[in-house]
Amino acid sequence: MKTFVAIKYVPDTSEAEINLDSTGMGVDTSRFSFDINEADNYAVEEAVQIKENHGGSVSVVSIGPQDSEVTIRMALAKGGDNAIRIEDSRIFEHDPLAVAKVLASSIKDQECDLVMTGCMANDDGNMSVGVALAEELGVPHAAMVKQVEVLDGKVRAHRELEGGLMEVVELTLPAVLTIQTGINEPRYAPIKGIRQAKKKELKVMSLDDLGLPADQVDESASKIKLNQMYIPEVEAKAEFIEGEDAEEKAVKLAEVLKKGGLV
Amino acid sequence: MGDVFVLIEHRQGELRDINWEMLNMASQVASDFEGEVVSVLLGSGVDDFADKLSGACSKVLYVDDPKLENFNADMYQKVLSSLIDEHKPTIVMVGHTASGVDLAPALAVEKDLPYLTDLIELRNEGGKPVAVRQYYQGKVNAEFSFADADTYLFTIREAAFEPIEPAQKGSVEKVESPVKEEIDYRKFVEYVEAEIGEVDITQSDMLIGIGRGVKEDKNMPMMEELAQLFSADLCGSRAAVDSGWLPHDRQVGTSGKSVKPKLYFAVGISGAFQHLAGIKGAKTIVAINKDANAPIFAEADYGVVDDLFKVVPKLVEELKEG
Amino acid sequence: MTVRTNLNVRRLVYDSYNEELLEELARLPEVWDCTGCHTCAVRCPKGLKPVEVLYALRQQMVESGKVQPTVRDALESVFLEGNPWGKPRATRFDWMEGLDVKTAEEGEQVEYLFFVCCSIAYDPKLQVVAQNMVKILEKAGVDYAFLGEEEACCASEVQALGEEDLFEEMSEENTELLNKYPAQKIVTLSPHCLSALKKYEGLEAEIIHYTELLAELIEEEKLSWSGEFAKKVVYHDPCYLGKQNDVFDEPRKVLQSVPGIELVEFTRSRERSLCCEGGGGKMWVESESTEERLAETRAKSAGALEAQVIACACPFCILTLDDAVKAVGYEEEMEVLEITEILGKVME
Repeated sequence: MKTFVAIKYVPDTSEAEINLDSTGMGVDTSRFSFDINEADNYAVEEAVQIKENHGGSVSVVSIGPQDSEVTIRMALAKGGDNAIRIEDSRIFEHDPLAVAKVLASSIKDQECDLVMTGCMANDDGNMSVGVALAEELGVPHAAMVKQVEVLDGKVRAHRELEGGLMEVVELTLPAVLTIQTGINEPRYAPIKGIRQAKKKELKVMSLDDLGLPADQVDESASKIKLNQMYIPEVEAKAEFIEGEDAEEKAVKLAEVLKKGGLV
Repeated sequence: MGDVFVLIEHRQGELRDINWEMLNMASQVASDFEGEVVSVLLGSGVDDFADKLSGACSKVLYVDDPKLENFNADMYQKVLSSLIDEHKPTIVMVGHTASGVDLAPALAVEKDLPYLTDLIELRNEGGKPVAVRQYYQGKVNAEFSFADADTYLFTIREAAFEPIEPAQKGSVEKVESPVKEEIDYRKFVEYVEAEIGEVDITQSDMLIGIGRGVKEDKNMPMMEELAQLFSADLCGSRAAVDSGWLPHDRQVGTSGKSVKPKLYFAVGISGAFQHLAGIKGAKTIVAINKDANAPIFAEADYGVVDDLFKVVPKLVEELKEG
Repeated sequence: MTVRTNLNVRRLVYDSYNEELLEELARLPEVWDCTGCHTCAVRCPKGLKPVEVLYALRQQMVESGKVQPTVRDALESVFLEGNPWGKPRATRFDWMEGLDVKTAEEGEQVEYLFFVCCSIAYDPKLQVVAQNMVKILEKAGVDYAFLGEEEACCASEVQALGEEDLFEEMSEENTELLNKYPAQKIVTLSPHCLSALKKYEGLEAEIIHYTELLAELIEEEKLSWSGEFAKKVVYHDPCYLGKQNDVFDEPRKVLQSVPGIELVEFTRSRERSLCCEGGGGKMWVESESTEERLAETRAKSAGALEAQVIACACPFCILTLDDAVKAVGYEEEMEVLEITEILGKVME
């Protein structure tokens, strides 16, 4: 099984306060920690497990800056065989269709049975790159996969629907699967392994190296235009629910919860 | 033309809530764009759905075909693609759901459409669509415009819009599937129900977190009742596990699990650093604690400073009624 | 002390001689019960450190990548962000906000160079230790400096969790960093950092714990207290400070200098101190034991002494004992305070 795994280097914005950067078209990431996108980490583990069970190899591909190489090396340490890091400032990364085109160009002319990537990136939440990639490659796909069974020339994927219901589909290979978190338990990549992984190939490529004309994936090529980013008006942290007594507060809380669709 | 297509989602004999939310949003958009709302219903023998939907839009375009009985992203994509070619709607809306995201991006690539996901707002500015979506788990909004096109494709966020109140009497147009051949590269096999029993709280959508404030095991039934009302799983701080109220696999924190539910309802939890580290993925945090200075309030979206033994029973009562 | 766990270190040492058994031994859950207290090392009549066998068995699991998710996350966090708490590097010095802290200048000689622990830097509950330390140093007119940038985990717990290679890397990086700022002594706020730094190779300065410095300052009459702290206080010897580094008297001297204090002793004090179970990587991996936590036993002992305060000089002891005092229901009558917290109350 020749598997490609596409991973993304994203900031952890879960705790900290977010501020826009000076352009108003992005955020100031200087105080965030960066790591492999959570769902992509599960995809890496799944790919490595498939390799362990069915043989073959795992290639890691990622569009990201030099700093992201550490996460690529960690993926190689876990069992990846080689990697491609694509860096080109012309890629309009806001458009998942452009990202898919770039990734497709790195996979297209290679031998490939399976492509996996996380079902969602924690920074943009588009949930689109994997499926768009499948269309670019002209292969079948399944999104939100929680279980993978490799069969002969086929793959059976359990898609996780709302409420935990699973939709089981069967795809012919090659195919693209977008992986949901919780599909497995990602292993730890020991430092020893990361050091050894430095011997594995990590090719850095630009759009020119990929043979992909920039005017197919840059801002001018995209049909979406980012006007501006802005911080939505939110109440200051912890809106305290007031009331004369505990009972009144409980009533108001119930209203808030219902209104917010939380119950 | 200004028409808005809304792809209807149904599953195991039921229409999903998102349809009514999208139809409501679509009616405003359609009016802005001087067109009509068309429900696009792909299925087999779902005349009753078509009828119900006709109360909420101008027209139901109902493709009745056995090949469409169960959702199959590739098959649905082919049909929808053909319908778009034929009817040329200005806007096509798909839910930003497990099935929606399985279909929409491929359709966008196939037809080279302006495409944006998880919309929370869509308006008409000078005859052109302008949309808003979010980044960083809802912390930043982003406004987008689009290149001029005949058709725009959007996925719409679930539970972001009010559901429509059925009021009209639209028409139902039943048509044959434009796709005659079965697809062999993707097959629907079966549905498998969620397993009951082992709960993996790291994947739970709704969680009630209990802490030391719950005081005794005999207060657990009250917590369980609360959890049931939210269809939530129970979890807790180290204190709750140590006290034997919850098994170890329900412990949340740096020496336990990391959770990322839509709602984390913290009851009697003070919010020590090690516990907070385990809930930083939670979308909304609600906390009840009698100490106004409890660190949990620095992380909570909503807080009630009071005796949980008074608040929770009343809350349960209120939620049962409503 | 095996009241709480099946961990029989003697048995493990004996069995580990059999290479064929190693894989099986490494997978025993009790391997993760060791708190690194070093009581085994203190007691061994041959002067050996059986704890090292535990760490080596853990290393086997680490190298196979098969460790618990909490351990994985802590180690990845140290590797990527220089701390085990999943916090970004950039916010490590937020504890300095509002304070005028002298930070080290490259090449500039300083008498005391401070190394702040990750837990103290990031945990809002513990930041007061560093903050009060700065105030005390200013009061005493000491020539001090804190690392303002690039400070990263001492990797004490990294080593205890079995990631020896990462410990080596961190020790090399930290040694290089610390040597950039010529100091007579490096002072750690946590006994864990003390133990770890002492293992580094090539550190030019001497390494001490802050209680050693404060005891000296008090003796030289460079520090005195104005307020009163009229409470019954029992001092809990942290394993990493006492058993591992023989620092027993200095914390007591510091506490005794506080006006009004009534200092009492646990029966199990000094080398016999009862481990709070915060070390040995235990902050990130739970035991399967259902027996009473040692910290709770300790809290009850403090209760029997009618102590109003358990004083401590280690961030992990503070956290585990504080939890324990609440777990046994003593929070109305007893509190757990770091020594610098007590000093903070008598400073003005």
